[in-house]
Amino acid sequence: MKGSHEIIIQNRRLRYKITVNRNITILRGNSATGKTTLIEMVDEYSKDGPESGIQLRCDKRCVVLSRGNWERDLQDYHDSIVFIDEGNGFVKSIAFAESVKQSDNYFVIATRDSLFNLPYSIDEIYGIKNTSGNRYQGTKRIYSELYRIYNPDAFQGKPDKIIVEDSNSAYEFWRAICAKEGIVCETAKGKSNLFGLVQKSEENRILAIADGAAFGPEMERAMSLKNVKNVVYFLPESFEWLILRSGLVESAELGEILAHPADFIESKKYISWERFFTALLIEHTRAERLSIHKKEQAKSLPLPVI
Amino acid sequence: MLNIIFGETDKAIYNTSVHFDNTYYDSWLDDKFARQMILSVDRATVLSNHAVDSKALGIIPVTKISGGLKTLLLIYNNPDMIFNASTCGDNCAKWILRIAKKSEKDITINLRHIMDFGDKSFEIRIKNNDTIVHNMAELVQYAGYFIGEKYEG
Repeated sequence: MKGSHEIIIQNRRLRYKITVNRNITILRGNSATGKTTLIEMVDEYSKDGPESGIQLRCDKRCVVLSRGNWERDLQDYHDSIVFIDEGNGFVKSIAFAESVKQSDNYFVIATRDSLFNLPYSIDEIYGIKNTSGNRYQGTKRIYSELYRIYNPDAFQGKPDKIIVEDSNSAYEFWRAICAKEGIVCETAKGKSNLFGLVQKSEENRILAIADGAAFGPEMERAMSLKNVKNVVYFLPESFEWLILRSGLVESAELGEILAHPADFIESKKYISWERFFTALLIEHTRAERLSIHKKEQAKSLPLPVI
Repeated sequence: MLNIIFGETDKAIYNTSVHFDNTYYDSWLDDKFARQMILSVDRATVLSNHAVDSKALGIIPVTKISGGLKTLLLIYNNPDMIFNASTCGDNCAKWILRIAKKSEKDITINLRHIMDFGDKSFEIRIKNNDTIVHNMAELVQYAGYFIGEKYEG
């Protein structure tokens, strides 16, 4: 599936308006905000349609997947938005992660568990908030929308240390900048090591850099470190996305793709947007002087000033 | 004292909502402390031990209260059992601490995420490494390592 899809679902008492932008959306946040109620309404509509008394507007079929025969049920769903409620432990399994990778569906998963087997984006982790309410035929209808749990965080001044998730081209790039600026730079050699490395660092002001497109499962424990360290995260979609955005690569279509990536990224082909941007960069630099890959990328780039 | 097992464990009831629906007693809703939790988390008033009046959903049966509240009621009424408290949002954290303080027995919960217990000091034993922590800064130092692992204790 490609594209962003708006879902409006309502009954006499509740109205939800949400937009899903890529293959995995995570719902979390406080208790009693209506996550389960939303998914129950989708389930009732998928079974009984308009007869349920629920109105659902979306250009894609919306269904609910539950434990039990989830693998068999998932085989029947195509080009659909699949909702999964809390309490379905299979979402943490490798089998489920493999199914998502091969699926042409989008998934909306209500869970506070960090799903380390799935590469979801930091931008697609949401809570539900009530935006307004009004009297509607004797009942008070509550309007609910999603809000991003992790918002952009500005870094003031110069860090003492930069920790880079990547150990290849991105690390080479940031290491070169740090050398110029007199900043310590270290690679975490993988996103799962970032938590430990930030915590053990003796420097006061730390800037951690990782690919936001797949950093979702790490985000909660990474943010929890703010209780311990003065750490800020710079989480662009990916290093390749940064290069594509830098203006080094010229292409008539690139601007449109970067402005609306959801419209161009087929979820079945690219489990995570970072993979799409890597493929896009390789494609657009294949015949150019900039033809670059992995560690060679960094050597070709001009260095920005922090 | 509150004990926490971080990460996956076979010792805990994972789907607390289903467990609550099939095991709760009507009398649980007669309790004053339980009613305070229901008002605080779900913004709902107990009408009888069969129904609550929810600000969002109107008058609903007890089985329709929020997943987080179901877990709180299970923890409160079954101090010897371990429940997956990652079904609770951060707005349940203060109630988990209060339940543990109120209980004559040690309470043990399972967390698969890092719950925010707020800025105030507390006393929590992390079962994974048998360490007592007193604030969030101490808690996250250990919890971050354990949430992705399986607890075998």
